[in-house]
Amino acid sequence: MTAPTIRVVELHKRFGPLEVLKGVSFDVHRGKVVSMIGASGSGKSTLLRCINHLETPTAGDVLIDGESLCYRASPDGKRKLRPLSEINRMRRDLGIVFQQFNLWPHMTVVGNVIEAPQRVRGLSRKEAMELGAACLARVHLAEKATQYPARLSGGQQQRVAIARALAMQPKVMLFDEPTSSLDPELTEEVLGVMRELAADGTTMIVVTHEMGFARDVSDRVMFLHNGLIEEEGPPQDIFGAPKSERLRQFISKHLR
Amino acid sequence: MSESLHQALDLSLFWEYRHVLLGGLAVNFYVFAAAAVLALGIGLGAALLRVNRLPVFRWLGTLHVEVFRNAPEYIMVVWVHFVLPLLLGYIIHSRLEFNPFVSSVIGLGFVYSGYFAETFRAGIEAIPIAHIEAGRSLGMPERLIFRRIVLPQVVRRMLPESVNQFISLFKATTIVSLIAVPDLMYDVTMITQQEMRPLPLYTGAALTYFAVILAASSVLRALSERWRARIYA
Repeated sequence: MTAPTIRVVELHKRFGPLEVLKGVSFDVHRGKVVSMIGASGSGKSTLLRCINHLETPTAGDVLIDGESLCYRASPDGKRKLRPLSEINRMRRDLGIVFQQFNLWPHMTVVGNVIEAPQRVRGLSRKEAMELGAACLARVHLAEKATQYPARLSGGQQQRVAIARALAMQPKVMLFDEPTSSLDPELTEEVLGVMRELAADGTTMIVVTHEMGFARDVSDRVMFLHNGLIEEEGPPQDIFGAPKSERLRQFISKHLR
Repeated sequence: MSESLHQALDLSLFWEYRHVLLGGLAVNFYVFAAAAVLALGIGLGAALLRVNRLPVFRWLGTLHVEVFRNAPEYIMVVWVHFVLPLLLGYIIHSRLEFNPFVSSVIGLGFVYSGYFAETFRAGIEAIPIAHIEAGRSLGMPERLIFRRIVLPQVVRRMLPESVNQFISLFKATTIVSLIAVPDLMYDVTMITQQEMRPLPLYTGAALTYFAVILAASSVLRALSERWRARIYA
């Protein structure tokens, strides 16, 4: 079997006296969809933010296609912390979609999408515009290209945010509660786009409260509790035959 | 209407000297424009110091803001023109003299850099950290994020307040006649010495400033509103 696209190794994160992640390890293979569920404060969002180094892990490592995000081997064989410029380069492989969309309000929709491809990957304006149009088409918003984000609904804004992340052609897409700030009817349009991405073979890690999505779309589900993976497995096991008492309680509360 | 009041409001003398006075007004504009560029540049620099991670830089930024924001423009301009050349001359061991135009631009520019620094800082701090994280997650380096994501939003946010500061700065240019910069007020003083009739000239100058500032600030406000409306719908 090939190296996992993402390997998380013994990840710890501490904010002062508070230990949010207490040693989390897992692999995500190419084309797989992994959902992370758990109560608020269980550490799922922090875990996602550590994976692309928006939070610096206190200990542990993240490997992208076998390459360490946190350290690099120096010629004398010692591990050294990776400088920010290299982390930036590697982060391009990890697209992230935030709960609050975080579109840049002073740029048009297509401007948001092509900013990084043009200025980080160095595409020409023409190439970037073609890529931008293709990415917006994937989230069914091609006709909104020249609008400003403030004119769009929350669901549309989140789909633009997905297109913006896709435009860097990342190896993995990370979703941090992408529908938590949306009304139910808008939630569906975003989940629909995410289902299509999964069906196209996109590697995805999704932090979500949408149990239906986790059950129907994921290859694997992880249940986090108090900074540790309490239980993980295929969705039919997690939702059909949960082993831990906490997971049973969590599911009965969230799955109606 | 009393005779003296009637004379004070009679603008025919002002009109007679309109060409000279217009030239003076142009000098006001030059001083304003040069001081504004200086104030914006140094203000941005000071604001970046104030939001720096290192306390020593933050402290330097605060020092800059407090020194220049709390100095009266009048004293600042005189000090830059008469004391600063002596001070610099002492350091480099030679006699220095500043051109009055240069002195007034430096004096006003530095005072207003203190105000603009605070406006820039407030603007920078108002940008949600999430906008910056979105840039980082796409692999954008910090400088690119600042130039493309932060600064354009800061400029839009600070526009309304900046219009007020530009108005103050333009009004402050009326003191540069003090060190013999030939602006509108300088011309008024000169003509007064010839004609011995200061009051109508001052009335004319007041009306001129009022008209110019009202027109310029209305246009600026309308432009900045239209520009912002697109984004903050």
